[in-house]
Amino acid sequence: MTKPSVPVGIICSQSGPYQAMGREILKSAMMAVDEINNQTEFGFSIAAHIRDPRGIISEYHTVCDDLIRNVGVEHIIGCYTSASRKQVLPIVERTDRLLWYPARYEGFECSDNVIYVGASPNHNVLPLVRYVLDNLSREIFCVGSNYVWTWETNRVTRELVSAADGHILAERLLELGESAVGHIVDEIVRRKPPIVFNTLVGSSSYDFIRAFHAGTKAAGLEIPMLSCSLCEPELSIVGPASAGCITSSAYFESIRLPENRAFVARWKARYGDDSSPSVDGQSAYVAVYLLARALQRAGTSNIAEVRRAAAGHRYNSPQGPVWIDGGNNHCVLTPRLAVSNPRGQFDIFWEADAPVKPDPYLTQLDVAVSPSRETSAGDALPNAPHLRVVK
Amino acid sequence: MSRPSSFSLRGRRAIVAIKDERDATIVRRQFERLGVDSIAWEPTEAIDFAPDLALIDDEFLPLTQPARRAFLGRCPVIALLGTETPSRLKLVFELDPASFLVKPLRSAGIYAALVMAIERSERTSELKQQVLKLEQRLRSRRVVLAAVLQVMHSHALAEPAAFALIRKAAMEQRKTIEELSAEITAKGMLPRATG
Repeated sequence: MTKPSVPVGIICSQSGPYQAMGREILKSAMMAVDEINNQTEFGFSIAAHIRDPRGIISEYHTVCDDLIRNVGVEHIIGCYTSASRKQVLPIVERTDRLLWYPARYEGFECSDNVIYVGASPNHNVLPLVRYVLDNLSREIFCVGSNYVWTWETNRVTRELVSAADGHILAERLLELGESAVGHIVDEIVRRKPPIVFNTLVGSSSYDFIRAFHAGTKAAGLEIPMLSCSLCEPELSIVGPASAGCITSSAYFESIRLPENRAFVARWKARYGDDSSPSVDGQSAYVAVYLLARALQRAGTSNIAEVRRAAAGHRYNSPQGPVWIDGGNNHCVLTPRLAVSNPRGQFDIFWEADAPVKPDPYLTQLDVAVSPSRETSAGDALPNAPHLRVVK
Repeated sequence: MSRPSSFSLRGRRAIVAIKDERDATIVRRQFERLGVDSIAWEPTEAIDFAPDLALIDDEFLPLTQPARRAFLGRCPVIALLGTETPSRLKLVFELDPASFLVKPLRSAGIYAALVMAIERSERTSELKQQVLKLEQRLRSRRVVLAAVLQVMHSHALAEPAAFALIRKAAMEQRKTIEELSAEITAKGMLPRATG
């Protein structure tokens, strides 16, 4: 007897400025779909309906409308930038569908029609900036893409740096997809800031990292770079210039957990030994599993029941234990810091000793308090991000 | 001392008067996420504490009884609009809202409305302080003018030099020009610096 099929929409751009990440999200989501469809424990199969908005912002609305109106999906996995999520949000809210959003983002949103699977701002920018302030420098030079992710990341960075009596030396913004990065590298070489924080995305980031590496090397400078988004496939795109970047993320391929080792082995068997999973891709994989497990528990695809069934259930994912906080529809997960190495991988040097509650509105942020004393939402969850060194 | 950031809402107390239970649930959930203490309020009850915010449904308007209006002017008000008709907006103006939300509510927009209301209210309060200060200075201009005329006469000085002399004396005696001018007009002469 064939299993009933649940239609699920997958929206990710396969061309445009962030096509690399769109492809990673699709590869990981499809790997999860195929795994689930081959497992007997799920009493249904997932029929993936893939749509490619090609990085064109208005297309997200069009493809989402098509998925809901013509295919009849109740659940959609995808979107990468916040701008793309905001295009889809009014439709999923109006038609009461559920968007499973895999990317880390800047927070300050909490829709009942979105499950935010990626990192919240307290998972990525806070640990990174706190580490820098405690260990490296109180002066930071910021360069980023001119959109909401950079604006908000820079605002939080500025608050933390100012509270520590430090300075933001500069805030240089480039349009999405911009490749003229030489003038910023020239300024960095001239001013010699102790740290550069890179919130550029996609091709702009790759161009900048290469030019930064060449420019600083020629000038005999060693300036550490920070990132909240760099991942293994991007290290491979950028090449050797990408080594030495201090990166904050919930997922690295090098995580030493049995679930991750098995995931990476399956990934390489499917996509080749030379390829690597990414944080946003792995998050899409987690999103598909969270959805499938909730569908299984709910016994229906009705979104209110799936949402209820999804909340609070721990899933031992490749990145470690993950569960959805029913209070805000964001995920509880473990922040980590790592430095990229010349082999295209990340060496993890610390991580929170327990999964951290999501704080999308940064209500628990006290800029004057050190990370080990900061509290999360005041319940019994193991949430204080005591940092420990990972050997 | 710097005032607390308008972006930080944790620990703020809000009175909430909402008719529709669905809207009320959305506000309660969003307040929980933001760390705002929500205090349900029936507009027939008197308020004996100072809330940081008030969310008032336009269904309760007009607030006719003094007890119902007691909070007005004491904290920023966010009006919840069910209709945008001028007649309803006219009633809403009586609340002097610092911000508004359109019903039916959704979680998006609540944070922005709260932050905007708090910031607007802070700025308005700073402006009111500034206006008060300027009004006082305006009232005392007459005294300053009288003092300048007196010093012009007693010291045989032109108006700019007389004013400069008063300003110098005020600085030396660590007084405002207005305070020193009042002393000059009372004593009929420039008071000597002491100490």
